[in-house]
Amino acid sequence: MPSSPTFTATIEKIIERTPDTRSFFLRVANGRKLSFVPGQFLSFLLPAGGETLTRAYTIASLPGEEDCFEICLNQVDGGPGSSYLFSRKEADVLCFTGPWGNFVLDQPTDAEYIFIADRVGVVPFRPMIARLLTAGGHHTARLLYAAPQAGDLLYTDEWQRWEGQYAYFSFRPLIAECEPEEYSIEKGLLPYVEQHFVKGVRQYSRRFYICGIGRPVLLLRDLLRGAGYERQAVKYEKW
Amino acid sequence: MAKLHISFENGNPEQVVEFDPSQAPFHHDGEPGSILDILLGHGVELEHACGGNCACTTCHVIVTQGMAHLTENEEEEDDMLDKAPGLVSTSRLGCQAVMAEGEVKIRIPRHTINQQV
Repeated sequence: MPSSPTFTATIEKIIERTPDTRSFFLRVANGRKLSFVPGQFLSFLLPAGGETLTRAYTIASLPGEEDCFEICLNQVDGGPGSSYLFSRKEADVLCFTGPWGNFVLDQPTDAEYIFIADRVGVVPFRPMIARLLTAGGHHTARLLYAAPQAGDLLYTDEWQRWEGQYAYFSFRPLIAECEPEEYSIEKGLLPYVEQHFVKGVRQYSRRFYICGIGRPVLLLRDLLRGAGYERQAVKYEKW
Repeated sequence: MAKLHISFENGNPEQVVEFDPSQAPFHHDGEPGSILDILLGHGVELEHACGGNCACTTCHVIVTQGMAHLTENEEEEDDMLDKAPGLVSTSRLGCQAVMAEGEVKIRIPRHTINQQV
């Protein structure tokens, strides 16, 4: 068991966002509020298969949503952690530690912020972009969001609303138009990044935040760092 | 058989794990055969808030002997270690450092955390 303080929370609501992705809205026991920095995750202790699994899930809530917070995750084939959570129902109780993680915004600068999300990797960007847009200073931010199908995109209404509301925020969905098993970042995201941020690039002041699943995140990291962006300007979280 | 000595800055008694590296993985978190995998598989607790996915620094350990018996750091581990409190030149992430032979001594820092805000 972890040595860190453990909290319990009750599942208040479950929303199916796509056929394999759900949001769980959790309320911490004893009226405690969850104080977090956008981009952080919680570490859940899940009693599955006769043992306690440690599984991290990113906080999807917007800053200020501290009473009842949201985690959003996809079901992984054969994954005991997500399978356990997907079999939970409202009023069930979960244990967790945290929040944890350093995949958070730096002190805002005048640099352009490029958020690159691969599928469910978009989750940390919801609170991060919200924080950036409301921080003052009119920081230019772009969200590049890749998925196999348009129906796989999460929080689309919100991205579009923010794009209309904030002139300095733009949302670029990159749909591969393929089945999930045929999907790869080569079918849209990687060439887009290469074309717009690598080829012929002359200014290196941008700040990149990349989040996704597995090796594609490292491919994007290597592409950008290899193009000359500073190591600290290319942050990433790989799940 | 390989041997991993673990000392704890919090004063817990030192432990020694002897294991057959060919039997890895010993648990289900961290890289197979990693320090985290070895410890958890032999009943020694090591914090790993992200589940051993190289997404936090809670499994930070300091290698005091036998660094050559561990796999070399990759860029991903170095990027994450940058953020570890109490970082030293022999710091490693337990979930990434794989031990395939020999004898290694590690120290678990008193403060393996704190990324909490």
